[in-house]
Amino acid sequence: MEISEIKNRAHVWLNTVSKSLEAGLFPKADADAQETEFLPDFCNGWVILNVAIIAEMLAFVITLVTRRISLWGAENLLIDLFIISIFIQWIALASVAALCLARKYLNRLPNIRALIMAYLLLLCITILVSEMAIWLLWLAGRIDTPRPEWYGYFHLQNLLVSAIVNALALRYLLAKHELKLRTLSEARAKMQALQSRIRPHFVFNSLNIIASLTRSEPAKAETSIEDMADLFRMMLNENENLVPVKNEIEVAKKYLGLEMLRLDSRLRVDWDIGKFPRKAVMPVLTLQPLLENAIHHGIEPLPRGGTIGVKLWEENDKIHIRVVNPFPQTKLRQRTTTQSKSLENIRRRFQAHYGEAATLHTSEENGQFIVTVVLPTRGGKP
Amino acid sequence: MRVLIVDDEKLARDRLRELLSDIGGYAVVGEAMNGAEAVEKTADLNPDVLLMDIRMPGMDGLEAAMHLMGMDTPPSVIFTTAYDQHALDAFEVNAVDYLLKPIRKDRLANALSKARKLTAKQLQEISQSQKEPPTRTHISVHLRGNIRLVPVPEIVYFLADSKYVVVRTPTEEHLIEDSLINLEREFGDRFLRIHRNALVSTTYIKGIEKSPAGTWQVSLKDVDKKLDVSRRHTASVRRWARNRPATA
Repeated sequence: MEISEIKNRAHVWLNTVSKSLEAGLFPKADADAQETEFLPDFCNGWVILNVAIIAEMLAFVITLVTRRISLWGAENLLIDLFIISIFIQWIALASVAALCLARKYLNRLPNIRALIMAYLLLLCITILVSEMAIWLLWLAGRIDTPRPEWYGYFHLQNLLVSAIVNALALRYLLAKHELKLRTLSEARAKMQALQSRIRPHFVFNSLNIIASLTRSEPAKAETSIEDMADLFRMMLNENENLVPVKNEIEVAKKYLGLEMLRLDSRLRVDWDIGKFPRKAVMPVLTLQPLLENAIHHGIEPLPRGGTIGVKLWEENDKIHIRVVNPFPQTKLRQRTTTQSKSLENIRRRFQAHYGEAATLHTSEENGQFIVTVVLPTRGGKP
Repeated sequence: MRVLIVDDEKLARDRLRELLSDIGGYAVVGEAMNGAEAVEKTADLNPDVLLMDIRMPGMDGLEAAMHLMGMDTPPSVIFTTAYDQHALDAFEVNAVDYLLKPIRKDRLANALSKARKLTAKQLQEISQSQKEPPTRTHISVHLRGNIRLVPVPEIVYFLADSKYVVVRTPTEEHLIEDSLINLEREFGDRFLRIHRNALVSTTYIKGIEKSPAGTWQVSLKDVDKKLDVSRRHTASVRRWARNRPATA
């Protein structure tokens, strides 16, 4: 294979990787309108069929537990079932139709109010249909008066059954909706956790730089891809393991190597690493996000860049980390809000690992931003 | 076609240079490392197209494009960006050309072939889409169709005239077309309103004193001039003076 062809392939490959990364890791945040609505679409054929089936099951239950209806004088259970089915289906389908029509209005309300409104609507429909049934019987000549002596009992009985069944149905819909919401928010939280580890800006800028290097310095491009792979493997690993301090420093140095490719002479790093016992450990990716924060908010916005001071030492069974970086004096207000946001993520991870035993402090001194972290040397229980 | 490449990362500039030489027919007339440099070099080198990164130290790409707008014959601008969801959405809406990093050769060729001028309205809508409200780092002053950039920290005061606003630095005075209300909204954390027609940089205020006539005046560092405090603003100016940080 020709060298130029290898380069071309590398280019194509890089572009493909970055495209799929973008699609997979950083999807556009679509606000799904569906997720806030707990009422299903009652105009939908499947939903109607479901309601009809449940209504029919209810008709079966009622037929089985009631004594035969004596209106027709028939002893036949099937005829009872037929009459009860017609009545219940009537109520059920009228309810579905009403919910189908009212859906737009109901979904605009907050959930609790929509729930109450839907419930009242369904009870009204039960009363309405019951009343119409009595009038129909009277018109058909089956009863002598539209106010038979069982008039009150009939209404009360229907209303109670309807109240119980509808309450169960709505409760089910609400529970299903809440479950869906929780699954969604969990997925989103996971995604955010991942994104807070991998800053898209860093990923795509690095890929762009590596694409540039594949032509000018293929060897450097190769090691950069290897470093990036190592880093990504760490970042994508879901297990929050404790790793030896030495390893964590190594990862941080790989990361800095990639950033130096980008920022060139604008980024300088001053390491000061003390002696650590071999058993000293810290959560994987402790140092790297601190450095990333210093670069993103401190070095990158400075036209002439600057020096990050990193100092690690052990004292009284505690690991001390101190990261010092200059930062632009303008836009002070904006900077501090975004900076504290990304530090908040780091703080939360410490909390998960060590509880109160780990601390993260920030301060400003002579135009320098200082982050100080203190961790128990031998790990610790949350 | 003459192209100016604007990016703070050297290797990113190199890549654009190489892709342009692959495509052919384009002359790279220069490179700039941030927005302010881009504006200056545009005035000097007169390119037809700018390939400009958005996130850059000092002045970013959007602000630079905004300043370029004021030229008599502004160049076309194609933005490049690694990932900037808010800006990207705004670009789509405003049909502004942009390229995503890593930049593809065919996309670059395509964008260049139909490079178009931006409008002020497009840019305004894009800047408004940014997460942080846009605050200019420089004020652009137009001199006979050309542009001068005045860094905001060097400005001592804005003084409204009948039609223009006077921008005063320790060494120079310029006229711009803007309103004090806009300027106060944008730079309110840096400048203090002392009069209906005057906005003064807090870093340049030396002190507040009473004139023989009994009115209050602000004396300034580096500029030998005193500005009147109007009666309506006296209370707020004196309150500011009392709470003034000791280091300022």
